[in-house]
Amino acid sequence: MIGVDVGGTFTDVVAIRNGQVEVTKVPSSRVDPAGSVIEGARRLGVEGSAVFNHASTMGLNAVLERRLPKVAFLTTEGFRDVLDRGSVHRPLDAQTDPAWRRTFGDAAKPLVPRYLRRGIVERKTAEGGTLIPLDEAQARHELGILGRCGVEGVAICLINAYVDDEHELRLRELVREVLGNEVQVSISSATSPLAKEYERASTTVIDVIMKLLFTGYATEINSDLVGLGFTGQLNFADCAANLLPWEEALERPFRILFAGPAAGTVSSGHLGAAIGRPNLLCADVGGTSTDVSIIVGGAPFVQNTFEIEHDLIINALSTEVSSVGAGGGSLVTVASSGGILVGPGSAGAEPGPACYGRGGTQPTVTDAALLIGILDGEGFAGGAIALDRGAAERAFESLDSPVSFDERVRTAYRLAAAHMAEEILNVAVRHGVDIRDFSLMAYGAAGGMLLPSVLDLLPLREIIIPPHPGLFSALGLLSADQVYYESESAYVVFSGTSAAEIDAVYSVMEERLRERLGEAANGLPVRRSFDGRLVGQSWETPFVQIPDGPITSESMTQVVETFHDAYELRNGNRFDSFPVEGVTYRVELVVPAEKVAYTPAGQVEAFAAVPEGTLTLRYLFDEPVSAEWFHRKNLSPGATVAGPAVIREELSTTFVASGQLARVGLCGEILITSGSEE
Amino acid sequence: MSTTEIAAPRRRLIRDLDDGAFRDLYDCDRYTATVLGNRFDYLVEHMSARLLTGAFSPVLRDFYDLACTLAGPPALGYPVPAASNGIVLMAGTTIDAVPNMVGEFGIQRLHPGDVLIANDPYRTGNHNNDLVFTRPVFVGGEIAAFVTLNAHQLDMGGTVPGGFSATKQNVFENGLVLSPRLLVSQGENVRETWNVIFDNVRMAEVLYPDMKTVCSSLELGESLVLESIDRYGLAAFHGAMRYATDAAAERMAQGMAELPDGDWEAEHGVDCDGIDDTETYPVHVAIRKRGDRIEVDFSGTHRQARTSINATVWEVKTAIGVALKYNFDPRGRFNSGLFRNIDIVIPEGSVVSALPPDGAVFLYFEQSQVILATVLMALEKAMGERAIAGDRAGTNLHTAFGAWSDGRPWVSAMQCGGEIGPFGANRHGDADTQCMSYLANGVAPSVEAVEKDSPVVMLRHEPVPDSAGPGFHRGGNAMLRDTLWLTDAAHSIIELRHKSVTGFGVYGGGSGINGGVWIFPPGDDGAPVIPTTDRSSFASGTAWAGVIDPESNAPSSDGVYRYPFANSNVSAEQSVLRYITNGAGGWGNALDRDPDRVRIDVRDEYVTIEGAARLYGVVVTGDPHDDPEGVAVDIGATRTLRERMSRGGR
Amino acid sequence: MHTFPRPQSQRLYVDREAVQDAQCPECKGSTIRAYRVLSEGGWWHVTKCQDCLNSLERSPASPLGSFVPLGSTV
Repeated sequence: MIGVDVGGTFTDVVAIRNGQVEVTKVPSSRVDPAGSVIEGARRLGVEGSAVFNHASTMGLNAVLERRLPKVAFLTTEGFRDVLDRGSVHRPLDAQTDPAWRRTFGDAAKPLVPRYLRRGIVERKTAEGGTLIPLDEAQARHELGILGRCGVEGVAICLINAYVDDEHELRLRELVREVLGNEVQVSISSATSPLAKEYERASTTVIDVIMKLLFTGYATEINSDLVGLGFTGQLNFADCAANLLPWEEALERPFRILFAGPAAGTVSSGHLGAAIGRPNLLCADVGGTSTDVSIIVGGAPFVQNTFEIEHDLIINALSTEVSSVGAGGGSLVTVASSGGILVGPGSAGAEPGPACYGRGGTQPTVTDAALLIGILDGEGFAGGAIALDRGAAERAFESLDSPVSFDERVRTAYRLAAAHMAEEILNVAVRHGVDIRDFSLMAYGAAGGMLLPSVLDLLPLREIIIPPHPGLFSALGLLSADQVYYESESAYVVFSGTSAAEIDAVYSVMEERLRERLGEAANGLPVRRSFDGRLVGQSWETPFVQIPDGPITSESMTQVVETFHDAYELRNGNRFDSFPVEGVTYRVELVVPAEKVAYTPAGQVEAFAAVPEGTLTLRYLFDEPVSAEWFHRKNLSPGATVAGPAVIREELSTTFVASGQLARVGLCGEILITSGSEE
Repeated sequence: MSTTEIAAPRRRLIRDLDDGAFRDLYDCDRYTATVLGNRFDYLVEHMSARLLTGAFSPVLRDFYDLACTLAGPPALGYPVPAASNGIVLMAGTTIDAVPNMVGEFGIQRLHPGDVLIANDPYRTGNHNNDLVFTRPVFVGGEIAAFVTLNAHQLDMGGTVPGGFSATKQNVFENGLVLSPRLLVSQGENVRETWNVIFDNVRMAEVLYPDMKTVCSSLELGESLVLESIDRYGLAAFHGAMRYATDAAAERMAQGMAELPDGDWEAEHGVDCDGIDDTETYPVHVAIRKRGDRIEVDFSGTHRQARTSINATVWEVKTAIGVALKYNFDPRGRFNSGLFRNIDIVIPEGSVVSALPPDGAVFLYFEQSQVILATVLMALEKAMGERAIAGDRAGTNLHTAFGAWSDGRPWVSAMQCGGEIGPFGANRHGDADTQCMSYLANGVAPSVEAVEKDSPVVMLRHEPVPDSAGPGFHRGGNAMLRDTLWLTDAAHSIIELRHKSVTGFGVYGGGSGINGGVWIFPPGDDGAPVIPTTDRSSFASGTAWAGVIDPESNAPSSDGVYRYPFANSNVSAEQSVLRYITNGAGGWGNALDRDPDRVRIDVRDEYVTIEGAARLYGVVVTGDPHDDPEGVAVDIGATRTLRERMSRGGR
Repeated sequence: MHTFPRPQSQRLYVDREAVQDAQCPECKGSTIRAYRVLSEGGWWHVTKCQDCLNSLERSPASPLGSFVPLGSTV
């Protein structure tokens, strides 16, 4: 099986054959994005692979950088500015910042400029039914204008279309009639028939953009793979890292906008299951930021939306991930009061940290790690980049601060870890969990270098450095199942009398889902869930499970009870006296896929590992300190390493801080605990 | 207590301290001070997150109507190194609420495990619904810190459900007043305190779990404080608090020092109160700036209003903090040190410093907006290119009540009025058109959810062309919203600022156009009359608020003022309600705006072809609606027109 | 005071009491006034130079201004 993760700079390809991980890296190409995927596939070979699972930042980057095809947005007259408005909310840290603008608003960078957002005379009511009939002549006139503007795609989202799609369906026919079949069309009632016009509209716009970006690309990859002898299934990962067969994905491609962080969480859950760790905080340390997610009882926290930029929201199921602006490339700067600061600015991929020698002159966290001695100047990234210690020194010297050089370096390293610790704690607090029951899965190439130090700040159970931490997210593509789902909205207050209505909603969706899958669905259960709220609230509690079997007035009592349980679990409070209102209903069908296997070694005795040599750690302590270093490939299960120590591997480095104890687990993972608890 | 302090002599800048001097001053090294400063910021966020997750209340969840602070002990002067910005209106007031509450209650009466509460605007700022909860954190028998949440409760009694009204006449009508008292005493709930609240409010069943959640958030805050003190020591913890407030004071002082010295004045205010329009309520601000010191004097401000549109001095302090923060410390959190070099002089009994029992305070945020606007106006000249234009004024909140055909009551609150409107422009670019106001922030409900909950159909919600203040950077346009009400309805409106321009331009920019509120009754056949949006459309309606041209019924700066509380503002079924917010101000000379940006505004219908010439001196040709990409600038004609206009031929 | 009538005058002013025979140590100005201000830490009685705004003296004032809750005097 093969997983391919297309990033902005590199395309990572991971293959697993006979339990061995094979890897190749191909430069990503903006001109020929499919080409780099196929090049990777060719290098590792695809014959005999059961699956080829694909994730890409192409869609997300196109949206973030506004490299977008020309698309139009049609909506009910009077509402074309719903896309300028969003939910109106400003980020909390921008409330007194006069420089802040809504990133996707008309004063900044809209996805669709206002003149391509057109109002159509029509109106459906909240109950369904027509208040104002569709004015077809007016619609044709507007479409004629869009035709002259040469739009490549049209997104249609009419008010209340989630309850009554008549006008959207007719409007789609009119688009075909006036603009022809070359133009891609997405209508909201088919793309994401959920209540709330802003989220549905932005989902539909992203959907049509993704159709334009991905249709040719996916088709090309599939046929080229077949040309290389591939006979398995090409899957695309969605925002929760669920896999979708590629043709299925292209039906509603907004779902595959971005799978990166979700894949890391899925990977964590998969390894966690193998090593008996159902409760995990997951931290992926990248160059610019650290992504934090949480797994409780083996299940990642999935949410019913994905936020592309602040308040730029689509209705994609996604793994809940929060970010803090501290990573390996985070810039070290000086506050006006003279103190050292880390992030949120970053040296990015270019020029990168000063020690990369690519023109960066500002110090970064990576420069600090090099000066401390955690990173190896020669062996970095498998020897691909020689790190320039002098450049790192000069960068730190250049800071205009009263803080001494030693203290600058030390502060940069420790502060990065402190930022990460606070965000990890924040995620735990938001989910009401006790951090002492949780292990921290630490990955990303810089995860092992920084995150063990978090153990000195938070009473986590342990830090886990998985095998191949730099490829761990890509391995997540080989740790997921295929998931098919359908959802739709109807505001219904739950009671005995509304059971039949709810039952009908589920029956129709389930039938549609089974029809779509055909025989593949035979024997597989359909999971039903809903997003509901207490009457009077404006937000929903997502993914409340619905029991199997017909929904009757009796089982409604149980559904309501389940809602209150789920609400309490998520929010820590219970409001039994409030009626429950269903908003969105969902059916899911999980088709198990082949996954990477973590096979534990048999029980082993702990033993002290033999070091490769010693090195000197500077700046962390008052005096330079000597520490042992190890090759990870030479550490077998049971090996223990007492900190301070450095464990190197080809694409990553783990720093075991002083007082900590590292032990190699049965699946090759490194488990780090604070020594005091041993 | 009558200790007299001679103002301390100027100290060295923090950045000039060597390691030893820093340690002597703050009882820790710079790294520890930075880490703890970071911890303080997060600590208030952790507490807010706990409350936001657990609370039932949509007001908290959608409007972040809360503030959270960490404060030091009395001996240090209750320094607040971090206040969360749930909503900035509350971040500043909470800083002073804690010492006021503790001082009145008596510090010697506090024990570990206590929660002290109060909600009186004259003591804690904001309005009665904003209940302040503070918990002392003890270390070794002494108070080391306070963790505090100020959170809006759905109801606090009084004559109007929910409380949002411009017409309550005194504190007795306004709602329950709670002087400082214990809600929890040494870990035990004080039942008589819970009951005095529950016996006097509506929706007590909702307040109960929300208040419990606040208490558990405070416990979380306390445990995080204790853990930090355990790790870094009490001296370092307090040292870092002083460091954080000193650093904030220094940032503000340095920012102010960059301004030229001078004296500046401005005056601005609401049109009326809830009794009649015989009095207006100007707020007068005189700012004097010398070196890194600033003094803001409100002498000349009008006496307090007769109804609940007043504010207290605590709002004044917060609004001035925001105004100055905009310029000197835009992204940092609120912190008590911000105010170190700022002295505010306020006569008591004014509309922004009301006194009990007749100076009722509820819509204080409308005055906060006035104060902010007045300070921005006064500072315009001093700020030069950093000046910030006026926004659409207040909150323009709307509430409607009625009954469904089966007799069940319905309420639509803060959904269908002018809640969304424009910001003013500044040097960073054109302004957003769809925001709340400078001092408010929140999540707007979706049209579809609103229509499901109330008998209303939203007909349109869009910007009004040519309503924005023109400028090198354009202000946000006024927002128009038409709603069709399917049953009879009673409307509560808060329209306090239409007489004078609120969207003032700065740095040579022009001003926005004011709006109003109208009702369009159904036709004789009972069917709705859905107005168009052109100027002739207003004729078939009745104005409820605004300055209105008597002929066309459209808004007009030289029209007739409509007092918004004159009638009961009820509508028959199938009536259409129209809200138009005020437009916001522009920044910089409109005649210098790149003609191509004007072309794009015309193409996008923010500006008409006529407006492009009149407001920007740009001659645009084409048909923006039917041929948007064919819209073009006539460069020669533009040059001629702009030359003529800049010679004064506007 | 606990109960305040609505002020009679429409516009309200803060009196700044002249302080005789005082000189600002910073700018040597002689226009020195005493009044009450709201600042960091709440209300203060200040004696300030009107030229450079330097405070010659600052002492805490009643925390709620003129408002003294009647119960606090019981």
